[in-house]
Amino acid sequence: MEQDAQLVQQCLQGVGSAWEELVRRHSRRIFNICYRFTGNGTEAEDLSQEVFLRVYRTLGSYRSAHGGFATWVTSVTRNLLIDHYRRTKRDRQTDSLDDAMPVVENKESAGRRPDEQVLLGELSSQVQTALKKLSPELREAVILRDLQQLEYMEIQQVLAVPEGTVKSRINRGRIELARILQQMGVRPS
Amino acid sequence: MTWTCEQTEARLSDYLDLAMTARDRAAFDAHVNTCESCAPMVANVSHLLTRMHTMEQIEPPPRLVYAILDQTLGPRDRVTGWDAVLAWFRGVGTVRFAYGAVSMVATLAIFVTAAGFNWRKPRLADLRPDVVFRNADREAHLVYGRGVKFVNDLRVVNEIQSRLRQDSEIPTSNESTVPPSSPDKHPGSSESSPSAPKQQNRANDVMRRMEVLADEMPFVAAPWMMRGEAGSRRTR
Repeated sequence: MEQDAQLVQQCLQGVGSAWEELVRRHSRRIFNICYRFTGNGTEAEDLSQEVFLRVYRTLGSYRSAHGGFATWVTSVTRNLLIDHYRRTKRDRQTDSLDDAMPVVENKESAGRRPDEQVLLGELSSQVQTALKKLSPELREAVILRDLQQLEYMEIQQVLAVPEGTVKSRINRGRIELARILQQMGVRPS
Repeated sequence: MTWTCEQTEARLSDYLDLAMTARDRAAFDAHVNTCESCAPMVANVSHLLTRMHTMEQIEPPPRLVYAILDQTLGPRDRVTGWDAVLAWFRGVGTVRFAYGAVSMVATLAIFVTAAGFNWRKPRLADLRPDVVFRNADREAHLVYGRGVKFVNDLRVVNEIQSRLRQDSEIPTSNESTVPPSSPDKHPGSSESSPSAPKQQNRANDVMRRMEVLADEMPFVAAPWMMRGEAGSRRTR
């Protein structure tokens, strides 16, 4: 964390290599959050670029005393993901109508890139499919807690909501996700 | 205190995250063990968490970092002309490149030598594919032949050693079986005279075994046989 703060200081002094180091340290985690939230590799890549562009522009507003750089970047990511969710809501509503048709659903999975197919695996893809059916509030809480292993305090900072709300969202998200998986025919082994 | 289904559902994450007091935990367990709707819910969520915690992070495409850097720091400068050539040579001058080059040359030298190339009298014809193949084939057969011969020699030496060891053990056991009141043993007589026939018998036995060995493996046992015959002639 201290190293991140030092790198930020160097970035603000115009050291290009410090920014490159920051990007290399956090790009994987940010890409994963975006991927788990959207369920789409291309969208996750575009959103990750957008996140770092926004971080780069607002780097001067980061204060290390208010929390770690990782939490701050995650917070920026979360805001951008919610913006993206609202922006694409209409498209998704059309998609959800199409999803009812099994042929279109097959077409969607067939259109997925082969490297994505390999990456997902069976276990991962089932959870990913179920995650997409969760509401954004519950989805982000579950992703941050159970896929990114963030502490409750960090999630509280990222989501900017009280601790009780964080706990409640995580709890409801887990129960809802398990229910969706059960509806999909996934049984505990 | 008995819990309701609503209470159990609300505290499920606390239970799974082990953030519950022992008393609450006992009450939670007591309810789940008797409730038909809560038991599968707890099992499903517990299973889900196990699955999610074993899910691996996805590797982003390598181009992501460069795309971000291009967008933020601007596109990297394109190097053209002589600068590009010099930049390439700068890369060649690194320790890593030198180490890789030395390893490659050493590997190549080992292969060429194994293929029968004579470094003292190098000829271009030796590097022809058919010649290289023939030489490599010959070298491989020679190495195999030497290996087989070495293993056979080791086996023979081991055989001889084990037989000699057996021979040295036989008399000891015979002597121990001789009864103390043997009729051939006269009181006051010397100990050397009765042991002489025994040594003779032992020598004859060794010779007999060596003859058998010589029949089976003449190239190894011949020197011993010649030495043994000379020794026996001297004894006679």
